[in-house]
Amino acid sequence: MNRIKKFVSNLLRDLFSEEDKKELIQILTTSLEEKVEDLVEQGTPVDQAIERSIQEFGSADDVLEAFPDKFLRARKVRKNQFLFSVFGYLLIVGITLFVNLQWISVFKHIYWFIIVAIGTLFWPLAMLYRYVSKKK
Amino acid sequence: MINSEIIRGHIDAIILKLLMERDKYGYELASEIKNRSQDLFPIKEATLYSAVTRLESRELISSYVGEKTHGGKRRYYKITPFGRAYYAELLKEWRQLRQIMTALLGSDGE
Repeated sequence: MNRIKKFVSNLLRDLFSEEDKKELIQILTTSLEEKVEDLVEQGTPVDQAIERSIQEFGSADDVLEAFPDKFLRARKVRKNQFLFSVFGYLLIVGITLFVNLQWISVFKHIYWFIIVAIGTLFWPLAMLYRYVSKKK
Repeated sequence: MINSEIIRGHIDAIILKLLMERDKYGYELASEIKNRSQDLFPIKEATLYSAVTRLESRELISSYVGEKTHGGKRRYYKITPFGRAYYAELLKEWRQLRQIMTALLGSDGE
């Protein structure tokens, strides 16, 4: 049964404040344990019952569906994270470009800043993916 | 499949209705919804139990720990008078919505 609690805690890792979370973890765990017990009573082996309960349970997004205001807030947070990453990316590339053209005169005619620009592109892209994929 | 936006608006009414009949524990609610809707109502247990928690924090339902026949314990939910009043309100809303949709789309949606 410890596995269930671990699963639920893990699911809610990035959601809610610690205080809200404690009760929710408790209730979700209890409900899942009840399901496992019911399945076991119907003749399912314990391991299989736990496995099935966890698989059918749903995701962190499904938990958020029950809290419309928190759901919207989570989306706003993801949007801000994305905007922050774009801003940070532009700043990094801008500084690199400046250093490339002004500072190190030896490499002035080699546009090595492009390597940095492509290398750090993963950041805004990852955040964009996170924002778009959870938007539904 | 029904859109999850639509479900979100009605899950409270469904939970309250099931608890009006008698007190139930979490998984009992889930399996009851599954059976009665013939598995057509696509709600995840994660959403359902979370909605139950939200209803409890709004004091529309309350919970108590009950004994089970085989010695284990279960957390049962019970609708409060406040919850009953809220359900009556939701039911009224639903009837109005149904009336409007029937008037606009026809009773068989054709």
